[in-house]
Amino acid sequence: MTDPNFKKGLDALDQGPARAAGETVESPPPAGDLPPHPTVDALRDTFGEAILRHEVVSGDEHIVYIGPERNLEILRWLRDNPGERYDMLRDVTAIDYGNGAFLQLVYELWSIPNRRQLRIKIELPLDRLEVDSVYYVWRASDWLERETFDMFGIVFRGHPDLRRILMPYNYAEGHPLRKDFPLRGRFTRAEQTRRSLSLKTEDHYSPYEVELAKRLGQPLPSVMADDGGPGVPESGMPGIGAQ
Amino acid sequence: MGLNPDEPDETRRDAHVAEMKESGGLPVRTAEAQGGIFSGAPGFLTTRLDTVVNWARENSLWPMPFGTACCAIEMMATAASRYDLARFGMERMSFSPRQADLLICAGRVSYKMAPVLRRIWEQMPQPKWSISMGACASSGGVFDVYSMVQGIDTIIPVDVYVPGCPPRPEGLMYGILMIQEKIRRASPTADWVADESLIEGLPTLPAQHLDLVTSPFGNSTQQNRSSGLVSSGAIVRPNDRQP
Repeated sequence: MTDPNFKKGLDALDQGPARAAGETVESPPPAGDLPPHPTVDALRDTFGEAILRHEVVSGDEHIVYIGPERNLEILRWLRDNPGERYDMLRDVTAIDYGNGAFLQLVYELWSIPNRRQLRIKIELPLDRLEVDSVYYVWRASDWLERETFDMFGIVFRGHPDLRRILMPYNYAEGHPLRKDFPLRGRFTRAEQTRRSLSLKTEDHYSPYEVELAKRLGQPLPSVMADDGGPGVPESGMPGIGAQ
Repeated sequence: MGLNPDEPDETRRDAHVAEMKESGGLPVRTAEAQGGIFSGAPGFLTTRLDTVVNWARENSLWPMPFGTACCAIEMMATAASRYDLARFGMERMSFSPRQADLLICAGRVSYKMAPVLRRIWEQMPQPKWSISMGACASSGGVFDVYSMVQGIDTIIPVDVYVPGCPPRPEGLMYGILMIQEKIRRASPTADWVADESLIEGLPTLPAQHLDLVTSPFGNSTQQNRSSGLVSSGAIVRPNDRQP
């Protein structure tokens, strides 16, 4: 790394966006010089202190920061309240700015009836990456939450099938989109190749298939028989018929 | 000149001499000279068995396309009308490994895809050959990252590497012609069963050799300060969740 400017740029990347002097995570939302967004006002009226901050980026994109405790309640209200009706979950993802900063969990919402966009962010400390799943609010969050878990390690409580989705099932090197994840992974190339070749893809079923196998009385592969498969809830699978 | 069994030998010889004079000494292709192929008389051919077997193999290769990225687009162009791979005997792209003898791996292969590629290769019957098409399949290319196989020769044996990013159809055709050349020079009667030295679940190379050939090279060593192996001092968060 001989070019000092290049190194400076990398350092800045690691540090992430700088906060203003004196600004803390819990700082009060800025005064009313932002373009209005009816949902933000309604959120403040309804949930008060649970709405931590409000930002506007790129002119008219409203970001609302909420705490991780009441996210399910707030997001369900956003979908069900007759005045809001955010019935489309466009995306669930996360951002790691590195250097120990909070991970930002992002929900991208769109209200089809009101033609209104809203971005909800939840800042999660690195030692407590847990949040309630919105699987039963928007079914679209199924694979999105699995991807966020796979790439960032955020655990979505209540997700019925929280497995890795992009990386191999036997991947043991962590969560690749974290800033502290080395570019080439943590294992040697030989170990990575050996692990990937030892993977039996047919030994990893979804909970739906596990449930089917149980009902048909078919044996499970040994790697899954130990714990009954990843993420299988005790109460059985919803949507597969009466228990 | 027809073959008339009732004709006396002298007459036939005189007629032949007259014909030779007429043609200036050049041999005249007659049905008789061709061994009676067209007249129904018994004929035979002496040659080496290797030559006949190789001739049959090289002129009717059935490729198994394993296209994972942009190289596959060039492979499709190679098979399409402008370049017309059928000119070289590849009438049929075989999408079943059981009925294929040439694996064309076109594109990058992720570690999650590695066991699939290995399984397809093992399913192909002997004799079989493989082409690694493009930079990513041959060496990992620009994808010197945590998720990508650094050259498919760590997974399966490779006969011909086609360079390029992606290679032009001419390049792939040249690679296929080299495969045909390799088949032509082989001795199927001496090596009746090709040596299959793959060990179940293990790479094609010993671990230390695999690490050597897949180590970062050139500019890629400068890409990321935290790149490389665990011993390079990459930070590992203690609370990094393992799956």
